[in-house]
Amino acid sequence: MRRRTALAAAATAVAALIAGCGGGGGDGGAAPGEPVTLKFLSLAWQKESISANKQLVDEWNTANPDIQVEYVQGSWDNVNDQLVTSFEAGDPPDVIHDDSPALAGFASRGYLLDLSGRLPAELKNDIPQAAWDTVTFDDGRGGTGVYGVPFLQESQVVIANKKLLDAAKVRIPTPADPWTWDEFAEISKKLTKDGTYGVAWPMKSPVNKVLNLALNFGGTFFSNEGGKTTVKVGPQEREVLQRIHDQLYRDKTADPSALGMGTADPLPGFYAGKYALLPAGVYLRQQVVEQAPDGFEWITLPPLKGTTSEQGATSQTLSVPADGRHPDEAVKFISFFLNGPNQAKLARGDWLLPTSRAAAGDPSMTTEENGWDVATASAGNLVVAPYLKVNGFDEWKSKVATPTLQEYFADKISLDDAARRLVEEGDKVLERYAR
Amino acid sequence: MTAAAGAYAPAPPRRPRRTPRRGGGREMFLLMLPALVPVLVFSVGPLLYGIFLAFTDARSGRNAETSFVGLANFGDLLTDGDFWTSFRIGMIWGISVTVLQFLASLGLALLLDRDLRLRGLARVLALVPWAMPPVVIGLMWRLVYHPNAGILNAVLRDAGLLGHNVDWLNDFAIALPAVIVVGVWTGMPQTTVVLLAGLQNVPRELYEAGQVDGAGTWRRFWNITLPQLRPVIVAITSLDFVWNINQFGLVYVLTQGGPGGRTRLPMLFAYEEAFRFGFFGYASTLGVAIVIVVLAVLGLYLWRQMREAN
Repeated sequence: MRRRTALAAAATAVAALIAGCGGGGGDGGAAPGEPVTLKFLSLAWQKESISANKQLVDEWNTANPDIQVEYVQGSWDNVNDQLVTSFEAGDPPDVIHDDSPALAGFASRGYLLDLSGRLPAELKNDIPQAAWDTVTFDDGRGGTGVYGVPFLQESQVVIANKKLLDAAKVRIPTPADPWTWDEFAEISKKLTKDGTYGVAWPMKSPVNKVLNLALNFGGTFFSNEGGKTTVKVGPQEREVLQRIHDQLYRDKTADPSALGMGTADPLPGFYAGKYALLPAGVYLRQQVVEQAPDGFEWITLPPLKGTTSEQGATSQTLSVPADGRHPDEAVKFISFFLNGPNQAKLARGDWLLPTSRAAAGDPSMTTEENGWDVATASAGNLVVAPYLKVNGFDEWKSKVATPTLQEYFADKISLDDAARRLVEEGDKVLERYAR
Repeated sequence: MTAAAGAYAPAPPRRPRRTPRRGGGREMFLLMLPALVPVLVFSVGPLLYGIFLAFTDARSGRNAETSFVGLANFGDLLTDGDFWTSFRIGMIWGISVTVLQFLASLGLALLLDRDLRLRGLARVLALVPWAMPPVVIGLMWRLVYHPNAGILNAVLRDAGLLGHNVDWLNDFAIALPAVIVVGVWTGMPQTTVVLLAGLQNVPRELYEAGQVDGAGTWRRFWNITLPQLRPVIVAITSLDFVWNINQFGLVYVLTQGGPGGRTRLPMLFAYEEAFRFGFFGYASTLGVAIVIVVLAVLGLYLWRQMREAN
């Protein structure tokens, strides 16, 4: 008898504990007529961008008393770990801000809602197909779907010290007539003198940068035969790798001490005239505008040209989880949040390129001020990055490509060694995902 | 660990008293229940679940199906070059941090055991790192190591020891040593305190006797202090080793395992496998493997120490 009581007590205690754990999940399904609350996980981090995001949320909340949106601040540093945990726990945010490389993995694991057929025609037509391609993925069961709405894109431009360019009397390129990689190498030589390097290549995270630029020469890095994806490093892939390496060690026109830096780290040296050219994403203009000392003159140069000016594009996206409680309301909110005028506001806040055609036509996106005209024009060169469709890319990038490219750019291994490692070790990683 | 803990507090030999009262088990069980339930639910349960996962191919995903795969994960682990790299880094980290920590702490403890002026203050100061969470320590040291704004580069350059700024945490060769220094710094307080407590338990008469016999400082240290401290040393170094090999937060904040995996400790590796790449089963296997390794290393170490002590 007593034993039974003890067991019963134990069972009750366990049940209470479990109930206590499960009960914290939030408001659950709201009764009809009650306002629905959506959690919006935003990754905005620049000050202007956060205020643009919050302002749009406020606007929506005022206009839609039935669907209230709660702004939740996330961070790019750990968003994917956070999302995996919340997906597995069954309590994901209702609207998720992320980027397309991450969506590929989430889509194939079934975490995200297929939005095709749910989006209003207006939004669908405002965004070009090339951008939709960056969010169209395998669903992991043989089909494909659209797993997010792409809204901000980044292209690689060159930010330049105007005074140094003028002093060296080099041709200023235009979007219609950009520098070729050969011209870029020549001009870097001209600019290298008196302790100034022509260019700084910050290569702390080299993979996406190299892969996006490799398309200039048609380098895709992956090939797909009969449904099996393998890594490929042929002559086309080697072009950009070799050219950057040449600048560092043959021409000595690139500062080797900038190699270990993150994208924004060379800026102090750039302001001080240590480097004349800084290849970077368009968003870096914001920091230049904010931090550059008075009297510092700079310009944005259009993307370089190899055989083409094409660059691999990924997008920032808004997605809806498959397990979400209010998918329809979430889609409504996204449609509002990403309409033309709002995308222009978000793009201005983040200093990135909007996918919306209406937003790209906004006067603030085409002004010469701060290089917006060049930046917006570079959007025309963006094509979907081939690695987006590769299952296991993230692991390849982290375990194989990042260390290999870092060692290659540090001149510790040869291009042949690097290529062999990228392919051999890479194929082993990808095999895991094909199982 | 129980062996070590027993050695650490050498209680006077007392014969265990038996309580042959019958039926006491049930009441005792009831009384223990409130303490037992949380342990079972939050500690034993997840542990068993983790061990179970190690034998499955569990992956993240709504449409992922989990099946039992037996020892396949362990087989993969043995042939996984990345794992062995990470394991080697873990061992270098665990052993060097533990050894350096011990040496530095022993020095500090000997110093603090002396009749110094402001000894109280010095003892308090030595404890400060203990009060900081690993994340804060990581952030603080990231600032110290910052290539352009860090105090370390500034000091070394002012002293003329360094011609150009070094990016301590991103250099392939320097990153691991740099992280090890932080690890040593972090773990010093608890080691120091335990050693200091041990030092204060060494009977003064022994030193006096040694002095009478003409033993110098070094002889007294070698032949009196060290043997007397032995149980404490064994306990704290084995505890330190377990703590260090399982370190996660500090290195995650400092380098996230970079550059190029040069500081990817086994726990970071397991975390990445699970939460970045979604291979829950394989990550659990890693966890189990590390437990086995730690137990084996500890077992060997403690066994040898015990044997020598006897």
